[in-house]
Amino acid sequence: MTERANGIPNIYKHKNEVEDYVIEVKNLKKYYPVSSGLFAKVKANVKAVDDVSFNIKRGTTMGLVGESGCGKTTIGKTILKLTDKTEGKIFFEGIDIHELNRKELRKIRPKIQIIFQDPYSSLSPRMPVGEIIGEAVRDNKLISADKYDDYISQIMLDCGLQVYHKERYPHEFSGGQRQRICIARALALNPDFIVCDEPVSALDVSIQAQIINLLKELQDKYNLTYLFISHDLSVVEYISDTVGVMYLGNLVEYSDKETIFSNPLHPYTKALFSAIPVSDPEIKTERIILEGSIPSPANPPSGCKFHTRCNYCMDICKVEIPEMVEVENGHMTACHLYHKKQT
Amino acid sequence: MKVLGKEDTNQEKKNVNYLTAKEVRRISRENRKTTDEFEKTRERKNVSVDEYTTIMKNNDNLMEVENLHTYFFTDIGIVKSVSGVTFDVPKGKTVGIVGESGCGKSVTSLSIMQLVQRPQGQIVEGQIRFDFDEYIYDLAKIPNEKMQQIRGNEISMIFQEPMTSLNPVFRIGLQVDEVIELHNHGMSKEKIKNRTIEMLDMVGIANSEGVYKMFPHELSGGMRQRVMIAMALSCDPKLIIADEPTTALDVTIQAQIMDLLRNLKNKINSSIMLITHDLGVIAEMADFVVVMYAGKVIEKGTAKEIFHNPLHPYTVGLMASRPKIGGLKAGKLYSIPGSVPNPVDMPDYCYFKDRCNRSMKKCNGAYPPEIYVSDTHMVACYHYLDSEEEKHD
Amino acid sequence: MNSSNGRNEVPIDKVDSLESPNNLKEIKIDENIIESEANLTKDLSDVQRIKVLSPGMLVIKRFIRNQLAIIGLIITVFMFLFSFVGGLITPYGETEVFKYIGTMSKEYASVTLNEEFRYSVAENMEYNPNMHSNFILSRNKGENTFTYKDENYYISEVGKDFYKVFRLNSVAQITYIRGIMGVTPFADFNIDENLNELIKNALINGSFQFYYQNNFYVLTQNGRDYILGESVNVAFESLLITEPANPNTNLGYEFKYILEDTLRNSNLNTFELEGNRYELNEDDNMAVVYKVTSGGKEEYALISQLAIQPISQDVFLSIQFKEEMERAISDEKDMFIYPDEDGNDVEYTISRLNNVYTIKTETKTHLISMHEKPSYQHWLGTDKHGMDVLTRLMYGGRISLVIGFIVVLLETILGVIMGGIAGYFGKWIDMFIMRIVDVFNCIPFLPLMIIIGSVMDSLEVDPKIRIYYLMLILGIMSWPGIARMVRGQILSLREQEFMLAAEATGLSVSRRIFKHLIPNVIPQLIVLASLGLGGIILYESTLSFLGLGVKFPYASWGNIISGVTTAYEMTNFWFVWIPAGMLILLTVLGFNFVGDGLRDAFDPKMKR
Repeated sequence: MTERANGIPNIYKHKNEVEDYVIEVKNLKKYYPVSSGLFAKVKANVKAVDDVSFNIKRGTTMGLVGESGCGKTTIGKTILKLTDKTEGKIFFEGIDIHELNRKELRKIRPKIQIIFQDPYSSLSPRMPVGEIIGEAVRDNKLISADKYDDYISQIMLDCGLQVYHKERYPHEFSGGQRQRICIARALALNPDFIVCDEPVSALDVSIQAQIINLLKELQDKYNLTYLFISHDLSVVEYISDTVGVMYLGNLVEYSDKETIFSNPLHPYTKALFSAIPVSDPEIKTERIILEGSIPSPANPPSGCKFHTRCNYCMDICKVEIPEMVEVENGHMTACHLYHKKQT
Repeated sequence: MKVLGKEDTNQEKKNVNYLTAKEVRRISRENRKTTDEFEKTRERKNVSVDEYTTIMKNNDNLMEVENLHTYFFTDIGIVKSVSGVTFDVPKGKTVGIVGESGCGKSVTSLSIMQLVQRPQGQIVEGQIRFDFDEYIYDLAKIPNEKMQQIRGNEISMIFQEPMTSLNPVFRIGLQVDEVIELHNHGMSKEKIKNRTIEMLDMVGIANSEGVYKMFPHELSGGMRQRVMIAMALSCDPKLIIADEPTTALDVTIQAQIMDLLRNLKNKINSSIMLITHDLGVIAEMADFVVVMYAGKVIEKGTAKEIFHNPLHPYTVGLMASRPKIGGLKAGKLYSIPGSVPNPVDMPDYCYFKDRCNRSMKKCNGAYPPEIYVSDTHMVACYHYLDSEEEKHD
Repeated sequence: MNSSNGRNEVPIDKVDSLESPNNLKEIKIDENIIESEANLTKDLSDVQRIKVLSPGMLVIKRFIRNQLAIIGLIITVFMFLFSFVGGLITPYGETEVFKYIGTMSKEYASVTLNEEFRYSVAENMEYNPNMHSNFILSRNKGENTFTYKDENYYISEVGKDFYKVFRLNSVAQITYIRGIMGVTPFADFNIDENLNELIKNALINGSFQFYYQNNFYVLTQNGRDYILGESVNVAFESLLITEPANPNTNLGYEFKYILEDTLRNSNLNTFELEGNRYELNEDDNMAVVYKVTSGGKEEYALISQLAIQPISQDVFLSIQFKEEMERAISDEKDMFIYPDEDGNDVEYTISRLNNVYTIKTETKTHLISMHEKPSYQHWLGTDKHGMDVLTRLMYGGRISLVIGFIVVLLETILGVIMGGIAGYFGKWIDMFIMRIVDVFNCIPFLPLMIIIGSVMDSLEVDPKIRIYYLMLILGIMSWPGIARMVRGQILSLREQEFMLAAEATGLSVSRRIFKHLIPNVIPQLIVLASLGLGGIILYESTLSFLGLGVKFPYASWGNIISGVTTAYEMTNFWFVWIPAGMLILLTVLGFNFVGDGLRDAFDPKMKR
């Protein structure tokens, strides 16, 4: 492991004595303005991420679950400062990364990495694999020139690639191997935190398991912290320590894995869990089928955004936005059903 | 020695990987020769009906695919996408075809529809017997113009991508009307519209009158897939081929569509051929399951047999490598090593041998035969050769 | 050797499949075994098991499959060979003009009866055309003096149409009072007794003019005194023309004067000058002067009222020729024969227009082979400048192609830089550059070129430098298309996940642009450039055709065609413009085919 990115001014540092959080997201908002007309007047905002807070402890994995368009990918990109936030704060090891200037940001970049869903578009097609993996290592001068070759070879072996693959181009690889290259590229920079944005969704079932195992192995070996974004609940359950469920830019439920899977609270979480097909023709579960489709994030419903599809919808849901409350120890949810219980 | 070996590998691999210009020319020449021959047979005019009329082996079956070989004559060689696939689609039942990408499941469905891209893709061998009540045709040999009448009428298809399957410039109603009109010549405009709205109602579109006037972009993915299903059902087909109908949809929408399909299955008397990589979807929908690997059927049987008693190491591995909700909490997830082979120049031994955790000496021999462990349950694996022999004895 | 994925625990029972380094060496040698090499790697899931097409091969393969593209490629290669190699092979130069020696009825000489006075100036005297015209005026009025620049000139008619012009030199002051005469000579003028006597007589007679010793003297009154003026010959005016027999002989004033004088004196036909004897042989209209030497007499000069002039400056007409000609004219013949220098008889024809006789003859001259029909020497004939059309086409192709390439290079560089900046940085920079692109797209190209072309015409820009300007202007005018494409491409690439990943890994901006973005734009650039090449060549041809592009003497396909402007030339000299037109058509077509082929070959969606 190389030293921490140094030279970051102390003023951005945010001390947290209680827990060793790698990532702290506080009231993060990301709005995309919808402009129309010739002179780009902002008509409305697409609230891709609307007031989301969570923390991730070092060496753990947080699963972020939700359907398409719920803003889970946007959170991932905002944490990496690949897009700018609208409001809120993101701390990486106590440093607010959105406050850093260009130079400081470049220094801290290798520490936070991302693995994308599509292993085909996430590799530059005109570069040999060795270069893809090692380019940034050299550019950021993370390793001395004489050790460079061995280092890259070691990383490739760690990710289940062969050393001779260095000379190859991405198009020669299957999806699974491409995803290994993506992981190797991220790992080569010796990161502390990796955002895994649906890393296995595009892969075949038999390959998915390989990649999930690889991610787990690497986590143990390098004490990595993951934000695992997926729509696949079974994968999230397997890999995560804590799970957040998102719906239309809001975090609706957040807890550790065991609690949330044994006792889901939010009606959306319940429906989501029951929608997973079971690989047994004999078991015919009574399924909660949600009516309708996801509303447009540009024009979300008033009050609780889920009320249009909720089976337990009350009058208050249509008016008031539910706040995140802690129902049991560490189990948070944003639903009026549980507000009542509390009060 | 080890280091040396490694270096040699490196060198050798590099040389092997790319085809030389000479080889490319040879392959192209051979491909042209073969495809030209097939095209010649295909392009013939006035093919007599006798040539493609056949008889069913079992009259309960709607379709019998036997020893189907669909090859693609590509620049890198012959890709045997489907090589020797045999399965039946019984009347009114749902057959699920499951397999990973490149296993040939989509090519099988395209072969049935005769939509394989020619001249590269050709049905080289085999029969696709289809029962049209009055007559039984072999779809593998049927001439194009005849096939055109069958497509959409007797067999219809639901595609994976509902976004691109609808024409964006026409209203939903018009597109469904068109299909109905094609099937029912001389039907009045009023009646067609009523039938369309009826169909839209049937697939669970609440505001069917409104949707009738909408354009595809005004609908969500789930709604579009419902429209696609309505279109597929509107001509009352004998067989519906659903190619990954839920893969592009969100989990909650997938549940809706699956619920819909399951309900429809009981209402209509069509057979459904469901193609998917998701074992969960298969388990919920299918009566019979066909597991494909690298262009071959490695296991088939009733859903119960496959899911409760998977025999082929691949099927077992596939099921084990899916993390189950409430299942394995810690430890390593089971995974099949390696990746799906590219079906070019396949050797004559079990294709799964190299990834198999139970491979034996016998596996190096010829490709394992189809072994029936029960009347319906077939597996292609040497492990079960003995049990079959016992049964026969 | 390990199998690639390290799962070599799979038992392999066939001996021939065992891979040892020795086996590999054999395989490398024996080609037949390479066929089965794929089977040596036993692992099916290994990517290496199957040979694939390299990306380059894939592109080539798709390209070759496109028959039009192949036709285009053949055309393009042919054009290159034709232009660049052809120019080396052809035996002719780009601007080599072909001539042939041919006979041509050419005006040889003109003869007219001289009716204007011509003058001969005495040595060291000034006599100019102004004075000549003054003389004409005075003569016509019947005066015998005229003034030029405050000096009096005197005219004395020596013979018919033969005048002497002289002025007076004051030589002495004469005082004459009642018969007593005092002479005060100026300077060193010497007055002898005879002259003295003559002055006295003149004063007494009141006749103020007298001759003495060939000199003419005049007395002019100046107050009470008289000034004696001695005549000095300035020139003589005559209708006769004297020409020497030898062009190198300078006849001189004295000779001419004496000759004219002698000629008018009907008694005499010989005269002497400076110790030489000359003899005259008179004819009707002319007289030949022979110089009598010890060996006999030789032709020395010719005097005549006929003005005989050769048309060409370098032709000198001999006296015999002139005599012959004069005889023919006076006999009213319309032709005569006279031998040339080599002794061959040459026929001369005489034609008359008013007073002018024109002598014509068939002379041999170098003629330019204009619009020569295709022949063995000139496969496509010659153009109106007498240059070989085929050679011009080769050199023209060279210029057209070079201009095409340089312009495309220029516009690509500009386009990539501008488009790259706009696409990568986005926001207001993108906005700004795209508006510039819009402005460029709004500029009417052809009118602008016509203006620039005429400005260059008026500045008389060297044709060679003009070509460079042309390249520059075409390059500057055509980059917006490339910039637009590059920008669009980069905008879409920028959102690709590998670019996000590159940003996340903290790569520097320049590295991201040059290592990740640009290489991915190159295929499209190649396509656009090859399509653009055709367009540029067409543009260049159009401009050259309009006379705004490449200028003569440099060849270009466009200006070869522009050499044909009339319907007559078009129908009769098809070999000039049809080949050039065909070459433009074929080249543009070829580049377009290649461009289309490349686009299809690079496009991964074109999976066939």
